[in-house]
Amino acid sequence: MSDFAGMEELLRDFLTEAGELLSDVDNKLVELEKRPDDAKLLNDIFRGFHTIKGGAGFLNVDELVKLCHLTENLFDKLRNRELALSLEVMDVIMSATMVVRDMFQSLERASMPQPADTALLTALQDALDGKLSAPAASEDPAPAAAAADAPAPSATPATAAPAPVAADDGPDWNALYHGLLGTSAPADQASTVREVQPTRNPGRRATDQPEADGMRAGRRDNDKVVVVSQETTIRIDTNRLDQVLNLSGEIGLAKNRLNCLRTDILSGKDNPDTFRALDEAVSHLDLLVSDLQNAVMKTRMQPIGRLFQKYPRVARDMARQLGKNVELVLVGEDTELDKTMIEELGDPLIHLVRNAVDHGIEAPDERRRSGKPETATVRLSAQQMGDHIILEISDDGRGMKPDVLRRKAVEKGLIDADTAANMDERHALQLVFMPGFSTKEQVSSFSGRGVGMDVVKTNIQKLNGRIEIKSIVGGGTTFSISLPLTLAILPVLVVRVGEQPFAVPLALVREIITIQPDQVQEVSGKATMVVRDEVLPVRSLSGLIGWPQERPPAYGVLMQSAVNNLILAVDGFVGRDDVVIKPLEDVKPKGVAGATLSGDGSVVLVLDMEQLLSEPHVETRRSLFEMAA
Amino acid sequence: MSKDMKFLVVDDFSTMRRIIRNLLKELGFTNVDEAEDGVSALAKLNGGGFDFVVSDWNMPNMTGIELLRAIRADQNLKHLPVLMVTAEAKKENIVEAAQAGASGYVVKPFTAVTLDEKISKILQKQGVPQ
Repeated sequence: MSDFAGMEELLRDFLTEAGELLSDVDNKLVELEKRPDDAKLLNDIFRGFHTIKGGAGFLNVDELVKLCHLTENLFDKLRNRELALSLEVMDVIMSATMVVRDMFQSLERASMPQPADTALLTALQDALDGKLSAPAASEDPAPAAAAADAPAPSATPATAAPAPVAADDGPDWNALYHGLLGTSAPADQASTVREVQPTRNPGRRATDQPEADGMRAGRRDNDKVVVVSQETTIRIDTNRLDQVLNLSGEIGLAKNRLNCLRTDILSGKDNPDTFRALDEAVSHLDLLVSDLQNAVMKTRMQPIGRLFQKYPRVARDMARQLGKNVELVLVGEDTELDKTMIEELGDPLIHLVRNAVDHGIEAPDERRRSGKPETATVRLSAQQMGDHIILEISDDGRGMKPDVLRRKAVEKGLIDADTAANMDERHALQLVFMPGFSTKEQVSSFSGRGVGMDVVKTNIQKLNGRIEIKSIVGGGTTFSISLPLTLAILPVLVVRVGEQPFAVPLALVREIITIQPDQVQEVSGKATMVVRDEVLPVRSLSGLIGWPQERPPAYGVLMQSAVNNLILAVDGFVGRDDVVIKPLEDVKPKGVAGATLSGDGSVVLVLDMEQLLSEPHVETRRSLFEMAA
Repeated sequence: MSKDMKFLVVDDFSTMRRIIRNLLKELGFTNVDEAEDGVSALAKLNGGGFDFVVSDWNMPNMTGIELLRAIRADQNLKHLPVLMVTAEAKKENIVEAAQAGASGYVVKPFTAVTLDEKISKILQKQGVPQ
């Protein structure tokens, strides 16, 4: 049984909206560290906790209400300058936000969150009582003196309000107060009201004792949980939906026109005017359908800022623990990307951000020695370039040394010494994407999470994207990710083996070259070609799919794959095309991602290059050029 | 009281607007419009046709109390009942709301029953036949 039976929809709405709010609060907290006196920031954060508390109250999530209530009170005092923001207070606030997020996660599983740690609640209370602000307050004599002069902790300015109520001439405010509240409490009791806790309504579940709550939450955790999936809904600008509606309406009209013309033609009215009208109607429909495809695609587009806004906090927490000063700069948060892609990018990006802070950025004293500003900058940017989105994570850290990378790869047995020696700098950088490669001897608690850069690369490639590294020793590293706008349509290059067309994802294709038998050389028993000083292995597509080589391959497709680049030898080309992949239902041939229909109605197989290349097939000059008799 | 009364629910948190809208629906009030802050609420109110305002206190741009003052200062709107909804259960806030002319005050979280009581009481005071 779920803790939220009958409220699932409300819970989902709450989690979506409150989750965004919390990310926003997180970012504002990072900002606040830089500008601790910014009244607007303090106010916004106050309102964030306040709003989350309000929503949580309706869902009866008492533990969340309690935590947000304390934090909100703290910000109330901060924004009213009754407390100063010290490092200690900031730490308590940061931990509180983290626990709020944990509680959200528990709510996502539709289970009541565990109560916050007593230590945290005590720390919050201490902060509220001014016990954590002493050092900061002494730097700012005026307000601190005022606070210190206050006779008792219970009489802090905010709560010492009753005086004007009694002193004011005119209407009886106490009476009004009770009139509004609908209570009939005697006046003397009212004047001692300090702060009314958010009242819970009798008749609702109102177990107020923390012990009881704890037990309840603990027990419920073992019950079968109903998963509330947050990702099944999407918020769409109504203008975009209206556009879809408009276009589908217009397509309806175009269809009516076509029906009408069909009747005409079938009834023998096949004069040139009818055909011209048919031609026009089809062109019009063509235009409308592609507009509709675009409009539908747009409904799935979300600003990448949703994802980005989680990272300043991640970078900050990590930098703090590593004793580094890092500022994460976000650029192009408005850039829009397909919703699925935004979800899939979460893990790779967080890994790259962590990687930049952990491995890229030097310790402050090392930065000082090399004459860099102590505070490092990690820049996370997004922009649209034509039909691609470019994401970049760059740091101004120590950069990557190709020699070190080569040596590590050899030590770890990932490549042999010969290969390492033949590898140019650009390729040496790519070594970090090899499975089992980690540049730091000590796997840190952050980057070393069992997820390596190879997984980052694989994830990006699953999205039909590509990732590249640029690095300047001493100057920093940039990871650049290029992604298609949508996953619904896949740009491919259609190649031929014999008469059979195959499609390869265009994202993997770097260039197309001709293959002359005399340019192919054997290096350590493998067929290779030198293209612009780069030694590349040659693999024939017919060999990879297990067909006999019937004629020498005429063309090579220079491809970027997960491990290294290679030349895919084929017989010819059909051209480039935008296709929609249909998965194959009952058969799943190795190396085939799915099938698609070409314009003339024939079936084209779309290749899964990664799977295809995992085949331990060795290509030699002989297997390429000496045909079976 | 008439179930056709038109409500304006003002809150910057859409989940909260939805909660209040649902509670009103439970009470039989289905004619409900929403606004996300004081500024857009005033714009809607100036368009006319509203009978009751339920407003949050803490909102960006224009807070609930500012909205309340603006309503009371407007010849055409000042008669409108305004129920303040908030988690701010501090006495000085309630007094402030009273001073600004709030018709009622309800503290989050609340049930449909509580909301019903508050609305009935306000309408009673205004002399609306029950």
